[in-house]
Amino acid sequence: MLPTDQLFSDYVPVLIASIAGFILVISALIGSRLLAPFSEEREKGTTYECGMLPLRRASTNVGNRFYLYGILFIIFDVEAVFIFPWVLTFVGVGPLAYWTMVTFVAILGLGLAYAWKKGALQWR
Amino acid sequence: MTVDLAHYLAVSGIIFGIGVAIALSKRNVVAVLMGIELMLNASNLAFLAFSRFSGAFQDGTEPLAGHTFVVFVLTVAAAEAAVALAMAVLIYRRRETVDLDRISVLRW
Amino acid sequence: MTDLLGNDLNLQYELLGPEIALVITAALVLFADAFRRELKIGQSAIPAISILGLVVALLLSLLWIDENKDFARLVTIDNFTTFFRVLFIAVTVVVIIGSHEYIERRVSHLGEFYSLLLLSTVGAMLMAGARDLLTAYLAIEVMSFSLYILVSLAKSDTRSGEASLKYVLLGGVASAMLLYGLSFLYGVGGSTQYTEIAAALSDGTSTLELPLLLGLALIIAGLGFKASAVPFHMWTPDAYEGAPIPITAYLSATSKAATFALLLRWFAGPLLPAIDSWQWMISVLAVLTMVIGNLVALQQSNIKRLLAYSSIGQVGFMLMAIVTISDQTGSALLLHLSGYIITNLAVFMGVIAFYNRTGREEIVAFRGLAQTNPYLALVITAGLFSLAGMPLLAGFLTKFILFQSVVSGGYTWLVVTALLASTVSLYYYLQVIRQMYMYQPEGDASRWRLSPTGYLATGAMLVGVVWVGVYAAPFYTAADRAIAPLFT
Repeated sequence: MLPTDQLFSDYVPVLIASIAGFILVISALIGSRLLAPFSEEREKGTTYECGMLPLRRASTNVGNRFYLYGILFIIFDVEAVFIFPWVLTFVGVGPLAYWTMVTFVAILGLGLAYAWKKGALQWR
Repeated sequence: MTVDLAHYLAVSGIIFGIGVAIALSKRNVVAVLMGIELMLNASNLAFLAFSRFSGAFQDGTEPLAGHTFVVFVLTVAAAEAAVALAMAVLIYRRRETVDLDRISVLRW
Repeated sequence: MTDLLGNDLNLQYELLGPEIALVITAALVLFADAFRRELKIGQSAIPAISILGLVVALLLSLLWIDENKDFARLVTIDNFTTFFRVLFIAVTVVVIIGSHEYIERRVSHLGEFYSLLLLSTVGAMLMAGARDLLTAYLAIEVMSFSLYILVSLAKSDTRSGEASLKYVLLGGVASAMLLYGLSFLYGVGGSTQYTEIAAALSDGTSTLELPLLLGLALIIAGLGFKASAVPFHMWTPDAYEGAPIPITAYLSATSKAATFALLLRWFAGPLLPAIDSWQWMISVLAVLTMVIGNLVALQQSNIKRLLAYSSIGQVGFMLMAIVTISDQTGSALLLHLSGYIITNLAVFMGVIAFYNRTGREEIVAFRGLAQTNPYLALVITAGLFSLAGMPLLAGFLTKFILFQSVVSGGYTWLVVTALLASTVSLYYYLQVIRQMYMYQPEGDASRWRLSPTGYLATGAMLVGVVWVGVYAAPFYTAADRAIAPLFT
């Protein structure tokens, strides 16, 4: 285990960086508040100062179609977590590891084929 | 100060508690799901801590069962989120709400 | 092939034959349905493929009777596993035969339905066979995820999606609790292998009393949810009511039996050395479950909800066997579990046939069934009487043996409570029977008949209920042989 002072000394740069960051951001905000000219016109508050007027609020619901893509993405994305440890060890384990991963990817491929056939990949 | 098993377990216990509180008190489906994810990740932290601080790890004879467990739990969590979100979308299409208090044809 | 520690790994894939066969069948069914138009196959081909795959899996699992092997230190193949494999495959076959008409008419997504049914059977089989916490956890999740989706598949029924959502969310919380408990068990035992946890727990672990206790409480809460024990039962009536009826039948049979298989494996194996820490927890759970389950059942008006609460009550009886765990109570539990499953399936197959005809599921809708279809009324009556524990039927004998073994395990007060709860249960079962026999049918009073497969499923279950009640010797021997590997 590390001695206490060394453990903390490793984090001193982080501390300095965060303090410096705070000072920079705050001074920029105060500077712009003091120096920049402000106008109180109504157009200032609209979404686009020049151009068409916005029709309705921006915070509407996201179409639930996006969820389907999200679901498909997260499944295939997370399966990659099995491939990284496999990459590091499969040479040592031998052909069995290779064929296991081929089977695994084939099953994922079947899942993709199923999603495709069911029309989940089509934007309607 | 050394960071040892007890510290990790304390953190994981706190995260688990927050997860339980969120899962049981929130009325929005997605928020409840987030609570469940927190609970699962608290378990992951506990598994990793137990695996790392076991006597066998120091000797190099630990079969890394805890580490393996975490990898599988991650995928299970993803599958769980997928299934629950699909259900939420199904309900939303029919009822235009994902508030658990308003999804109440059945009496718990 | 050896693992990191130099243990030999037995990679005989034949050992997992039944599971592999079912997974392949599930994929075939899914794709046969997705490409139905291209392949020009009819709707009825899909249940046929499923049954074929199930029969193959059944034959493959019978190959391993009286063997005791393990697959890569992850799955044990012994008589216990074989017993549950046969049981689960049989349940799925009966559910498919008895309800394929219901499924064709009232379930959306046929291919997904059958393939998820097969996958959840695989999960249940692995739950019974696991010898490593990781395998057990993944098996639980395979079964549960399939069931979450299956519950939501009732066509044009708003209750279905809602029931499924509640089941997913509560199930997620429960399995996260179970997982947290498992992490403590891993920390205390230093391994995820059942045998090594048992060894670590039995050679004095007094320094780790608190994590063990916490872990046990969380594990019991998580498994209590899966078995729908009070106070973790809130999802049961909703999921049972919202699900398509075949899935309700399946939930009450396979999902419950698989949880008890896991409970037996854990509490007779890795957790047995810590018996003093968990015995009281399970006995509290058992008492609460049988009392509350049976009392709440009294005021139900929907047959699915009634059966849900009755099944909760039955879980209380079964938990008694875990409290006084030994080879005697273990085999009594296996016997009771199979008797309960046959009985419950008899009732559910009857209810499905009734629903196919009438589309109603309130208890008052059963009025005058004895006149319009005396055979169906007989099947349902036999099933309900067996659930209540009437002599000459399966329920009486299996309950008698179970209660007797618990008494000889030294827990007489539990059995007294169980007998009282059992008497209460007779009342609400009789309510249904009264509707069928004592009232005139409402509206259409003409006689009607079941479909051939309906007759097959209900007839087989009726014969089963009487057979177990009158001549249980073969079942008893099977249960005895199945429990033996756990206690050697």
